[in-house]
Amino acid sequence: MKLKGTASLALLLSGALLLGACTSDGEPASSGSAGGSTGASAGASTSAEPTQSDDPCLQKLGIDAAKDGEVRYTAGEPDWSGYNSMTSDTYSTYNSVIAAMMASGFTYFGTDGSLCEDKDFGTVEVQSEDPLIVKYTISDAAVWSDGTPITINDYLLDWVAQNPEFLVPGYANGTNQDAQPIFQHVSSSLAEKVPDGPQGEPGSKSFTIEYANPDPDFMINVTSALPSHVVAKKSGLEPDALAQAILDKDTETIKKAADFWNKGWIFNPGQLPADLNDTPSSGPYMLKAGGWKAGTSLTLTQNDKYWGEPPATKEMTFRFLADAGQAQALQNGDVQVISPQATVDTVPQLQGMGDSVKVAQYSVLTWEHLDFNHRAGNVMSDLKVREAFAYCVPRQQIVDSLIKPINPDTVVMNAREVFPFQTEKYDEVVGAAYDGRYDQVDLEKSKALLADAGVATPVKVRIGYRSGNQRRQETVALIKASCDQAGFDIVDANSNSFFEKELPDGEVEVGLFAWAGSGQVTSGQNIYATNKPQNYGKYTNEKVDAAWNTLVATLDENVHLEQTKVIEKELWDTLFGLPLFAHPGVTGYDAKLQNVRPTATQSQISWNAFQWVAAS
Amino acid sequence: MLKYVAKRLGQSALILLLGSVLIFVLVINSGDPLEDLRESQDPNRENRIAQRTLAMGLDKPWFVRYANWFSGVAKCVIGQCDLGTNREGQAVTALVASAAGSTLRLVTLATLLAIVVGVTLGIITAVRQYSGFDYAMTFMAFVFFSLPVFWFAVLLKHYAAIQFNDWIPDAHFSPTTIIVAGIVAAVILVAALGGSWKRRLITFLVTFGIVSGVLAYFDAVTWFRRPAVGLPVYILATIGAAVLVIILTSGFQNPRVRNAVGATALVSIVGFVVMRPMLMAPREDPATFSGATWMLLGCFAFAIVAAVVAGQLLGGFSRRQATLASVVLALISSVLAFADLMLSNWSQYIAVISRPIPTIAAETPNFQSTYWNHMIDTATHLILPTMALMVISIASYIRYTRASMLEVLRQDYIRTARAKGISERKVITRHALRNALIPLATIVAFDFAGLIGGAVITEQVFGWKGMGDLFQTGLRAVDPIPVMGFFLVAGGAAVTMNLIADLVYAVLDPRIAG
Repeated sequence: MKLKGTASLALLLSGALLLGACTSDGEPASSGSAGGSTGASAGASTSAEPTQSDDPCLQKLGIDAAKDGEVRYTAGEPDWSGYNSMTSDTYSTYNSVIAAMMASGFTYFGTDGSLCEDKDFGTVEVQSEDPLIVKYTISDAAVWSDGTPITINDYLLDWVAQNPEFLVPGYANGTNQDAQPIFQHVSSSLAEKVPDGPQGEPGSKSFTIEYANPDPDFMINVTSALPSHVVAKKSGLEPDALAQAILDKDTETIKKAADFWNKGWIFNPGQLPADLNDTPSSGPYMLKAGGWKAGTSLTLTQNDKYWGEPPATKEMTFRFLADAGQAQALQNGDVQVISPQATVDTVPQLQGMGDSVKVAQYSVLTWEHLDFNHRAGNVMSDLKVREAFAYCVPRQQIVDSLIKPINPDTVVMNAREVFPFQTEKYDEVVGAAYDGRYDQVDLEKSKALLADAGVATPVKVRIGYRSGNQRRQETVALIKASCDQAGFDIVDANSNSFFEKELPDGEVEVGLFAWAGSGQVTSGQNIYATNKPQNYGKYTNEKVDAAWNTLVATLDENVHLEQTKVIEKELWDTLFGLPLFAHPGVTGYDAKLQNVRPTATQSQISWNAFQWVAAS
Repeated sequence: MLKYVAKRLGQSALILLLGSVLIFVLVINSGDPLEDLRESQDPNRENRIAQRTLAMGLDKPWFVRYANWFSGVAKCVIGQCDLGTNREGQAVTALVASAAGSTLRLVTLATLLAIVVGVTLGIITAVRQYSGFDYAMTFMAFVFFSLPVFWFAVLLKHYAAIQFNDWIPDAHFSPTTIIVAGIVAAVILVAALGGSWKRRLITFLVTFGIVSGVLAYFDAVTWFRRPAVGLPVYILATIGAAVLVIILTSGFQNPRVRNAVGATALVSIVGFVVMRPMLMAPREDPATFSGATWMLLGCFAFAIVAAVVAGQLLGGFSRRQATLASVVLALISSVLAFADLMLSNWSQYIAVISRPIPTIAAETPNFQSTYWNHMIDTATHLILPTMALMVISIASYIRYTRASMLEVLRQDYIRTARAKGISERKVITRHALRNALIPLATIVAFDFAGLIGGAVITEQVFGWKGMGDLFQTGLRAVDPIPVMGFFLVAGGAAVTMNLIADLVYAVLDPRIAG
């Protein structure tokens, strides 16, 4: 029975194979790239890679039409949550990278964190330094993708959405802690710095902004804006009427617009508005109808009304993908560019994929440091102990063993306000501020200093950091191996509440954490000046305070540089803390893709994604 | 019975309530929701901390935050569910709806396949206890049990996606591959079928011949680039399936079952021959897709109805058995027909998508193509996560079924049946199997409930945005609201499924009723 069964099955199968021509018709076309992404080239192709330039700003490609197809990129797992990425709910790296593709503005950050101007969009001109008055002129060609010109109206709304004094008294300047914002804007700095807002005719292409105090960072205060005509229309107002209301400080009219600004541009997963003119673009790409698959992908398509250089590839798809699956998705062609978390595991994995994947290793504008607790009574309030500690911390070894496997170019960082990759400025500042005395571990000197300070050894030093960070755990282990020999007793004081409790309350001797640079000149004042909110170690130094006050009061870059040198030198001489290294970044991308250009800034690898194009 | 159900419902509601409090407290204490802002140097840092504190109510005690959430959920009673908003301000109700849909698509197929394959293998291992096949399966089951999903997923992606996609442009087998595959298949089949040495040898040779022959043929015609079952194969396969179904149910001696199954086979074949051109018609317009789906479902329903009618009309006194056998055949032939349709369109699909097996997501973004290409697109996206989910469930089903079956086979009534001279096939299929399946009802219910909430890792590695992802994202952000949405669905499913399992149990097993 069984044999008969097997035999008949065999007969059935072989008969079937003979009978049916066991293949379907149609020889498939030869393989292109996955996802049908490369079609015929419509525009001029770019053979050279102009992006290998030293200039940190965008380089024009000289193309006149976008190439058909799409580029696929993932910034991470979180889904897109809405067109307005400036609300406190939606402001995130993941939304910002997408918003950046649909916006253009006066300025942007170049690859090393320096500021670049987008002359296609408009021009910025300082009319007076004291008081600081800046004139902005938007290009006549600049229009939203629905055809409406980009005007002062958009910038008026941008300003008023930050809840200026007349709208919410005491909010922007922080004098009233209970003030409730009307617009859920993530920032209020422009409203605080510019009490009266942009000035000009409603609907015009130019406006002026007058600052209450000189602001060295004025260039990044006004960049791109959201379309005010959509807000006006959705709130039952005329665009120019809304602009006039803002100029007139007509609170009642402005409040009508707040509801749509806060909620109207946040969508439920996968549901784009029926009319995409409600979400117009001022950048190279715009939303594509039906292009949002909840949790999976968002596709942008070329903005035909964009007046600058067209995107290199017609469509761009953001995939929402967790770190764990990114490398294999890249290898399989599901995505073409990834920037996974830079660990000692990801780099060899990407490098092991062969010629089809290129790997870029670079530094980013986030830097790791050890900060001392300067509170009276803490052992680190004694300069000699701090120096003894600085002599035993193996900074070179930390970089060599923990960071170089990820980015071989990493060096020990010897400054706080400038990064090693900002070569010229960095060399100048470090040359003036630091003589290299802590470059090598010197245990003898360390012991001598401790003896000199007259503290009982071993000196217990708690190094605090946020739990769950392996690299920091290894950093502390390396410090312990070295410093314990000099007479310290290093304690790994990691904690889940490090940032809420141990650090602000001064319950550690040394804090190990990172600052994410913002590209501003003045942000360091919050960290190093006396009694500022981010000065967790309660460091105080009159010279540093004075230098900051001089620095923030002028636009002169030479003064900025001079004062930075003064600050850095003081911070080294009195040992505010020890800078360690700039964090490494890694990007893997399809070798066929041109113009992928790493950047140190928080605008991510996709900052020039509209220039990415597959080689033909 | 009604009282029992009411009591159980009351208990379930209480458990859910207490569980929700527990989860809520655990989540809000699981970390620092402001962590990402604390290392920021942005000028708007303080502002953002204040705004997030306000939006999430971080300054309020836990019971106030819980009460806020619960008051929204309580409105479900009057049909206005408000599960709150997550940190980004999106409505959790909408998030849950989209996540639950995605998870259901993922786990339904995996669960069904795992049950069918796992139970079948479990029965074979029990019947062939202590055979080579049994040992091999036991070994595999333990391997699969202890297999970390994320690791298995990485392997799957590497071999079944990346390597397969690299291979598919040529689609050629090396002679070694052909021979090894033949030997492996033959060894497995020999172990499963057993018998005397002579029979084993013959089974081995025949299987080896067929498998390596088929692979060689596939290689010669690059079948994997343009496969099809084709009508002749479909007809033969349906006849083969009919024979198998008859052997497994009544045997050829019972003309009523034989006729009913035969009639079903005939209807299936004729139906498919008639419908195939219509089903294969190229449809580009997405508006016509739902019509095509209804046509498919209609054909399927027709096959089942025809099987029931055939069973009832031709079954005579073996009506029940005839109907069951016919329906099983209708199911098999429908699956075969569906496979034929899918395979026939495969070459069209890889002409558009040159790397067919993706490692992530549930569909190709912006894919606009024919109805069948969309169908295949869904299938290629489902295949890897389904395999990952299946492997582990299969392992448990094999073990449970085997244990349960062995226990039943040791019962007195089985010995009595054998003593009466009933054939071994009948003893197993009609007397042992049914009773062995009763305890499985509980496990299936548990498993399904568990899969809805428990596909966390599988979803993450394959980039599916389902319930597991909702849970994980919420937990990472220390945002209790989406986690509670997850808890309501997963906990609700667990409680409901348990209740159903208990009720079904009472129906299946007369010893418990009452």
